[in-house]
Amino acid sequence: MDASDALVVVAGEELILSPHKALFWPRRSTLIVADAHFGKAASFRARGVPVPEATTAVTLAALDALIARHDARRIVFLGDFLHARDGRGPHTLAALSAWRSRHARLALVLVEGNHDASAGAPPAALGMALATEPLADAPFALCHLPVPVPGRYVLAGHLHPACRIAGRRDAVRLPCFWFGAHVGVLPAFGAFTGAHTIVPAAGDRVYVVAGERVLRVPERQPA
Amino acid sequence: MRRRRDRHGLPPELAATDHLGKQLERKRRAEAAATRLLRATQAPLEFHPRAPDAPPAHAGAPLTPEEWFAAQGWRAFAFQRAVWEHMAAGRSGLLHASTGTGKTYAVWFGALDAAATPGAAGRPLTVLWITPMRALAADTVRALQAPLPALGIGWTVAARTGDTAAAEKSRQADTPPTVLVTTPESLTLMLARADAHAAFRHLRAVIVDEWHELVGSKRGVQTQLALARLARWRPDLLVWGLSATLGNLDTARAALFGARAAAAVTVRGEEPKETVVDTLLPASMERFPWGGHLGLKLLPEVVAEIERHATTLVFTNVRSQAEIWYQALLGARPDWAGVIALHHGSLDREIRAWVEAGLKQGTLKAVVCTSSLDLGVDFLPVERVLQIGSPKGIARLLQRAGRAGHAPGRVSRATIVPTNALELIEAQAAREAAAARRIEARQPPAKPHDVLVQHLVTIALGGGFAADALYDEVRGAYSYRDLTRDEFDRALGFVTDGGALAAYPDYRRIAADADGIHRVSSAAIARRHRMSVGTIVADATMHVAWVGGGRLGTIEESFIARLRRGDAFTFGGRVLELVRVQDMTAYVRKAARSKGVVPQWAGARMSFSSELADASLAVLGAMQAGRFEAPEARAVRALIDLQRRWSALPGPDTLVVEAIRSAEGHHLFVYPFAGRMAHIGLASLFAWRAARDAPGTFSISMNDYGFELVSPRAFDWAALIGAGLFDEARLTEDVLDSLNASELAQRRFREIARIAGLVFQGFPGAPKSTRQVQASSGLFYEVFRRHDAGNLLLAQAEAEALEQELEIGRLRSALAAMRARRLAFTRPARLTPFAFPLMVERLREAVSTESLADRVQRLLAELEAAAGAA
Repeated sequence: MDASDALVVVAGEELILSPHKALFWPRRSTLIVADAHFGKAASFRARGVPVPEATTAVTLAALDALIARHDARRIVFLGDFLHARDGRGPHTLAALSAWRSRHARLALVLVEGNHDASAGAPPAALGMALATEPLADAPFALCHLPVPVPGRYVLAGHLHPACRIAGRRDAVRLPCFWFGAHVGVLPAFGAFTGAHTIVPAAGDRVYVVAGERVLRVPERQPA
Repeated sequence: MRRRRDRHGLPPELAATDHLGKQLERKRRAEAAATRLLRATQAPLEFHPRAPDAPPAHAGAPLTPEEWFAAQGWRAFAFQRAVWEHMAAGRSGLLHASTGTGKTYAVWFGALDAAATPGAAGRPLTVLWITPMRALAADTVRALQAPLPALGIGWTVAARTGDTAAAEKSRQADTPPTVLVTTPESLTLMLARADAHAAFRHLRAVIVDEWHELVGSKRGVQTQLALARLARWRPDLLVWGLSATLGNLDTARAALFGARAAAAVTVRGEEPKETVVDTLLPASMERFPWGGHLGLKLLPEVVAEIERHATTLVFTNVRSQAEIWYQALLGARPDWAGVIALHHGSLDREIRAWVEAGLKQGTLKAVVCTSSLDLGVDFLPVERVLQIGSPKGIARLLQRAGRAGHAPGRVSRATIVPTNALELIEAQAAREAAAARRIEARQPPAKPHDVLVQHLVTIALGGGFAADALYDEVRGAYSYRDLTRDEFDRALGFVTDGGALAAYPDYRRIAADADGIHRVSSAAIARRHRMSVGTIVADATMHVAWVGGGRLGTIEESFIARLRRGDAFTFGGRVLELVRVQDMTAYVRKAARSKGVVPQWAGARMSFSSELADASLAVLGAMQAGRFEAPEARAVRALIDLQRRWSALPGPDTLVVEAIRSAEGHHLFVYPFAGRMAHIGLASLFAWRAARDAPGTFSISMNDYGFELVSPRAFDWAALIGAGLFDEARLTEDVLDSLNASELAQRRFREIARIAGLVFQGFPGAPKSTRQVQASSGLFYEVFRRHDAGNLLLAQAEAEALEQELEIGRLRSALAAMRARRLAFTRPARLTPFAFPLMVERLREAVSTESLADRVQRLLAELEAAAGAA
């Protein structure tokens, strides 16, 4: 574990939260990544809004760094791997294939989310196993939608959670990991994704991604 | 948790007992009366002081303009004849005068003379009348229609704004009216039609009303671009701007005509009607508050003033202040419920329209309002204008004064109601500057790229363009007169292939065809552009509605976000309880308790103008010289003497700096009189420069007169001043370093991203909260910064942040003035009268030079400490 990571224990399992907005599960050598939204920039461009193509490369470079740091053997994508059908541009798909060829032995699993349904399955060349939620991997249920599954602790995405941290004079809004009693939500992984401000309940654990560090947010006292 | 009662929102018994219920009932009655009136007579005209006793419109032979004027009991002013002569000779120009002096009919009769033939029908779109406010369009239509029957002119006049119903718009498309009253945005939309050139083939005259409202804004730039295009299509086009008096009329004229300015004339309207500005003085200065801007000390005097006059407008600077004064007036005079009203931009349009109708008919005793009533049609019955607190600018004060006695020959009177002792100085300054007509200038924006990007797509839709020709045309607009070909090509690149600086594969918004004509090829892009044309960006607001239905208005989302369910707040003159927030709507019910949180609205932080600042310093200079003849000066004299005894009096030649020690820490008070925005920059700059060698943390507060820096440890400020604290060298760099400049730029980028078509405020039926737009504009900002740092819109955001958020120009001249003044560095034993308001100023800002992670860690530590204490 690097100094900038944060270690949490969820459902008895140790998880490492990375400032790259993904988590690593050491016991299963598995990286868990939510809401990569590959091709979102391409999809915007196709609709006449200029977004630099570089966002795809940034997202893939973050995956490279995570794989290298943790020596991951498997990646589970918690849905919304591709953003939209018109985002399946040649540049984006070529970048994905090149990345896959650099990590040929890595197992890739996609738990399908709402965007995947309309964007279509990832190209076969990526060699991804497709799963419908919930994907059981005890003690977890790996899902796209953050909905409780009886008997399991759910790890999910979809929300793109962010947390507003306000001091006496200033405030910042940062992407976060949000662990509730039965469901944990990961921040959106993609470099060109927005975020939704959450309001944690009492007892929830929230970790914000502040630049190069992951920091625990102290729990607010009920007022 | 609060009990849930009254799920039905506006219960039936409210109609009888409740204040809003009474307002609504009165509104219904007033509407019925107005309808009867309308049937019985002609619609009331815009500015004539007495009811017309003209013969029935269609009775005899057509009248000449002079005869029509005579029939109204008027005679044409010399300036009106001058405008008619200029227009008859084919000359364009700018007409400036105060409101209510007959500007409208000067240009209207000129246009009729130039283009109308009595007895003949008008040709479609002969005249365009551009107005900045949608709300003014209907009244303008009525004023323009009024003389037509008597003159025997068969022209049709119609309005087209964002409020116009789709059916009416499509009827106008089939049969365009002779005269179209419209807004800059709607005009731009018309230019985006493929048949725009043909549609304007009969255009003879364009009138730009209230040009002073547009000239300093991006909407004005949008108007400039549209005029450049229309002038190219119709070389003999008559263009007339109507403006209130500005400090830079030559620039205002140049901005209206751009490359065509040389041939345009300036006509000055009738001598401004008499304007009286005075100050409401407290009977006794004892216990008159030294600070605070919500002071209600003069409430009894204000009540007495309202009592004495038929109808009074009570202007405040911000909506929260309007709410407070409305509540206070009702508290003082419960019998006024139903005859005094509240008017501000957040209230629902229907409620505002009712208040406006009440003003026109003279059924209201008083209206507490904000700048929402600065403009607009004339409310003849208004006898009295009160200005709560500093008017912040001379033009604004005169504009508001003009709302009273709003007719030729009648006296306009505005009375400033100071809310604390020091405001007496500003009141005297404003009065003297208004008498000397020292009016603020308004500068047109310099080549904003976002508006240009939007215009390129508009013209690509409106028939397409060749790059060379459009470059020429755009440079004909004043704001783009210095646009280089490289800048134009980069804007063009942004909408064609993204530009050469970063990779934008498969991207295009417009593309050149085989003949080099740039067009929009995708219907989806065309539709989205039409939806988002315009340069006004709304704040993130949400609706306020009863749980049982019925809208009350809109409120800032950030304000609602701070409330919890069950919290009470004041809105629209009532105390409401927040029930739930859903679909960008705050559902409320009437609160059980009578005291609410007063909403803090944006706009509270406006700086006073340089003109008012200079006038205030001049007043202080006179006091320094022992002159206390003015009533305001006499009233504030004791306080001024105290300031002199304890420290020194700031003035045009004296810069006062006070160092004070307290339990809170070491305070530095500085009084440059540069306005609060520039003071934020100055304070941050000083903190940054002081802490560069010896790290420190400061908290800052500021007002229009000066600023305060508080630090836990002492700094040798006298030595720092000697070592160049006021230097201009590296000013921009230091200001950017000292403030979180990227956050300010990101805030500016929100508007830029929308104007340039990067983010959308949504399609009908697909609502998207502006919060999401904000998030995505922040996302665009980050992505561009990381991957296309040379992007022209980023550079624009940084420039706008420096110029508009930080007022770097004003900051620079403030530093120069500070160096030129004699330094009076004092160490008072206690807070001086000038220091006190800064001390109680609630909005404090911190200057920090921390990295994001450090900042977050500090914020988390603060949270932890707060949680531990709870």
